[in-house]
Amino acid sequence: MDARVPARLLWRDWKGGELSLLVAALIIAVSTVAAIAIFVDRLQQALVVESSAFLAADRVVRGSRPVPQEWEDRARERGLDTARTLTFSSMVFGPERSQLVSVKAVTPGYPLRGSLAVADAPFMPGRDTDRLPEAGEVWLDGRLLPALDVALGGVVEVGNAAFDVTAVVTREPDRGGSFFDLGPRLLMRYADVEATGVVQPGSRLSYALLLRGSDGALEAWRDEIGDDLNPHFEWVDIRTGSDAIGRALARGESFLLLGGLLAVILSGVAVALAAHRYSQRQHDPVAVLKTLGMTPREIQNTYLGSLLLLGTLATTVGLLLGWGLQGLGLIVFADLVPVYLPAPGWRPFLVGGITGFICLLAFALPPLLRLRDVSPLRVIRRDLAPNDASMALAYASGLIGSLVLLVWYADSLVLAGWLILGTFGTVAVLMILAHLLLRTGRIIGMQAGNSWRIALSALQRRRRENSVQIVVFGIAIMLLLILYLLRTALLDEWRNQIPADAPNHFVMNIAPDEVEPITDMLASEASGSDAFYPMMRGRIVAVNGEPTRDAEGDERSRLGRERNLSWTWDLPAGNRIVEGEWWEPDETEALISLGADYARDIGLAVGDRLEFDIVDRRVEARIASLRSVDWDSMRPNFFILATPSMMADLPATWLTSFRLEADEKQFLTRLLRRFPTVTVIEIDEVMAQVQRIVARVTLAVEVVLSLVVMAGALVLIASIQSSMDERMREFGLLRALGAGRRRILGALVIEFAALGLFAGVLAAVGAEVTVWILQEQIFQLPGRLHPGLWLGGPLIGVLLIGTIGTISTFKVVRTPPAIVLRETG
Amino acid sequence: MLVARDLEKTVKTAAGPLQILAGVNLEIKRGESVALVGASGSGKTTLLGLLAGLDEPTGGRILLDDHDLTAMDEEARARMRGRLVGFVFQNFQLLASLDALENVMLPMELRGDRDAAAKARELLERVGLGSRLDHQPRQLSGGEQQRVAIARAFAANPAVLFADEPTGNLDRATGERIADLLFELNREFGTTLILVTHDPALARRCDRALTIDAGHLLPEPAASAAAGG
Ligand SMILES: Nc1ncnc2c1ncn2[C@@H]1O[C@H](COP(=O)(O)OP(=O)(O)OP(=O)(O)O)[C@@H](O)[C@H]1O
Ligand SMILES: [Mg+2]
Repeated sequence: MDARVPARLLWRDWKGGELSLLVAALIIAVSTVAAIAIFVDRLQQALVVESSAFLAADRVVRGSRPVPQEWEDRARERGLDTARTLTFSSMVFGPERSQLVSVKAVTPGYPLRGSLAVADAPFMPGRDTDRLPEAGEVWLDGRLLPALDVALGGVVEVGNAAFDVTAVVTREPDRGGSFFDLGPRLLMRYADVEATGVVQPGSRLSYALLLRGSDGALEAWRDEIGDDLNPHFEWVDIRTGSDAIGRALARGESFLLLGGLLAVILSGVAVALAAHRYSQRQHDPVAVLKTLGMTPREIQNTYLGSLLLLGTLATTVGLLLGWGLQGLGLIVFADLVPVYLPAPGWRPFLVGGITGFICLLAFALPPLLRLRDVSPLRVIRRDLAPNDASMALAYASGLIGSLVLLVWYADSLVLAGWLILGTFGTVAVLMILAHLLLRTGRIIGMQAGNSWRIALSALQRRRRENSVQIVVFGIAIMLLLILYLLRTALLDEWRNQIPADAPNHFVMNIAPDEVEPITDMLASEASGSDAFYPMMRGRIVAVNGEPTRDAEGDERSRLGRERNLSWTWDLPAGNRIVEGEWWEPDETEALISLGADYARDIGLAVGDRLEFDIVDRRVEARIASLRSVDWDSMRPNFFILATPSMMADLPATWLTSFRLEADEKQFLTRLLRRFPTVTVIEIDEVMAQVQRIVARVTLAVEVVLSLVVMAGALVLIASIQSSMDERMREFGLLRALGAGRRRILGALVIEFAALGLFAGVLAAVGAEVTVWILQEQIFQLPGRLHPGLWLGGPLIGVLLIGTIGTISTFKVVRTPPAIVLRETG
Repeated sequence: MLVARDLEKTVKTAAGPLQILAGVNLEIKRGESVALVGASGSGKTTLLGLLAGLDEPTGGRILLDDHDLTAMDEEARARMRGRLVGFVFQNFQLLASLDALENVMLPMELRGDRDAAAKARELLERVGLGSRLDHQPRQLSGGEQQRVAIARAFAANPAVLFADEPTGNLDRATGERIADLLFELNREFGTTLILVTHDPALARRCDRALTIDAGHLLPEPAASAAAGG
């Protein structure tokens, strides 16, 4: 066979517009997927950098004893970068005054992620530095300078050693929002600790080994160390390291993943529909070609070759377009969330390309391969279609293709399996419902007017095709609704999490007589100040009469660790009782309420009797309730709450929070001058970091949503197009028989609006159920109903399908019937 | 040239098996022109499809140029069609996306003919469409489309030409001109012609006529009588 024949056939089909829908579907499939992949890649790079900074490393091993040197050696052998930190509390002496500080000693290389920032004077904006204090030097937290009454260049003493103060440290990446490490910071060299002589057995020490490297090497190292980590060490990654960020990240990633999956499915459906239509329209030409002597194999190779050629073209264009699209997304949403993202790597392009070809092979190839089996007898007997076996092959390959893509994307057989099962289950249910709906349509149509009768009988006549179409429309609208609802839920969640005016500073250790003057000072000079909470440090020493420490005084578990306690009559906002009961006002029994996660962690339950050591006094109390605590709220939260009567005669200090803008930080100097014993914790840097991350994830969510909307619109168009030939013929005939344009147009509008209505109803039901499940199962958000959806879904269906459908078929009305009939034969 | 032995065709229908053809025996010599006639639904088109190798019989054998079509798979039959067979159909069956010239070039290109374009142009001149080379089928009238189809059928210089009611969709005058063209070219190329028709005049122009009645081939004298009467 002459190779020019297939080339000419392809070229002619291309020029005749036969291929445009298929090519458009492929291009959009590749470009959406590539755009999402490129975007997610860039975002992930940014997030890795940003969020790892919270740990100052990729992973951390933390414990109360030194991490064995051998572990560090093995990490280095694996090519991991390492650094060590040691954190402990100690007194620091200035020339006149002294202060309890939190010392952090670090080895060269720290921090492995993120950076330190320093300033030359307290409460001045810091600048990034890659240096560390030299041997014999320390860097101090800004508030220590007024507290110790030293200036840069001065000398302070820690234990037996004296150090030069050479810088003010304004940011430390792994400072976090932790309440366990409260004192003002003193940063020094790890090697200098020995000389101070302050590290004694029994001191409260926190050792950490910081690790940086590829995920593979990190996990391999962890596997090698294995159970030796327990019980003395803790393995920390960013997800366990910071609640707020970890959750935002995990949800954001789930969403992007889901968005990518939906884009793939939608694009796949669009490609399949387009390919199906193209194949259908090729049956007659193929039959003719076969009578002219083209063998089945030649037919197969012709279409395979054409498809590969088109695939390569569409993929190339799609990748370029995808790259442009994600760039456009960044520009469009730039006002919403101004962020910088690093340049993409090569991987997303590969992902997009492979997706294109899998789409091609799984969705476009099978309908075209069926052409191989078209009987040449079709030239004399039109009704002959390829047999069902090749049809089954087409479905099977589509199914396998989606599964491969989904598993590859989700990297999880389970998730992919559920998604496929869910989709097909939904399709089955929807098919039945669609049938029922169409039947109802007929009954209503009995007493209907003219256009209505045409429309409803058209709906009836193509009942099978129409149920398929309703399901396709329904699924497309449903997926879009799902994504939209999830996006809205996530964005709401994130916005609530860190309101723009959230407090970003905490003051602790406020003596009872300082509460009033500080309230006044905050009221006049700061904004958004919160209530005052009483606070006390305490330790659980016995559970149900059994001591939590053994004879040597070694901590048996986290149970005996010192904790912050607070007390109140009212359940704090953002807390919810999950077990037991909150106490009545004026309760006289000593009762406590624990954070539910905390209680589960250390193995305590409602009814347990605890004995506390609070400022060397023994207090007994019964656990009355467990609370879920919203740790993301950035407000003061406590693991342990007690009845005020139980704490009545204990010497409490108070805690409050307030907000300072970046240019108001001088206020801290005035505050600390006047109240030198209070402790100020600045979390503005941390919050800014969280906000940056959330902004990035938000951006991602918006971009992905708009890309998936595009894929969805394509499915709608492809689906309407694929039913066009049939409709053209019918309405052409009706017009030839004397039906007026307006009546035909009316019928078309009604028919598509009805399809849209049915699809919208099904979509609303499906979306409601799915979103509920997804929220509860994957996003860990409380599920809730969306009444707006019940109106919105059908409305969207009617408007969308009605409009796209009518516009696409407008040709039927405008073209003279003779031409319609001639072209559709 | 073309021999059929005990040809049978049964199809499955919703109401059970339906025998369309039974015990058909015939022999057609090289260069002969034969009309297949009979009432509507008698099985003419079915027989034509079998003889041309477009379909497989459920019983019996077909020999085309001494090759046993019934022993071949579709792959081999297709090659056979490309080499030996040409078609003219009632509904023309031109490829809508190709213009007249390309439609005629197609069979030659499929067998790898180098100067397909020149030959195709010549044939189209021959059927009187020299000025319509670059017209698409939908820009041509039915008669013009059938002339393109005839040009295409002869383009590959087939040994056997099958025509199923080639004038069935055309008015009388146009039909006659098409028939003239068909027989003229047939003579010129020395092609064996098998033609299904309802038109007695057309049937009479063939060397002989075979009559099918409810799936059975009638003996020839009766057939001639039927064709004549
Ligand atoms: N695949 C099939 N399934 C069921 N019935 C068939 C099939 N093919 C042919 N028939 C039936 O076989 C009979 C013969 O059909 P065929 O097309 O050969 O008739 P014909 O002689 O060409 O008629 P006409 O002159 O109307 O074209 C018809 O009754 C037809 O309905
Ligand atoms: Mg017939």
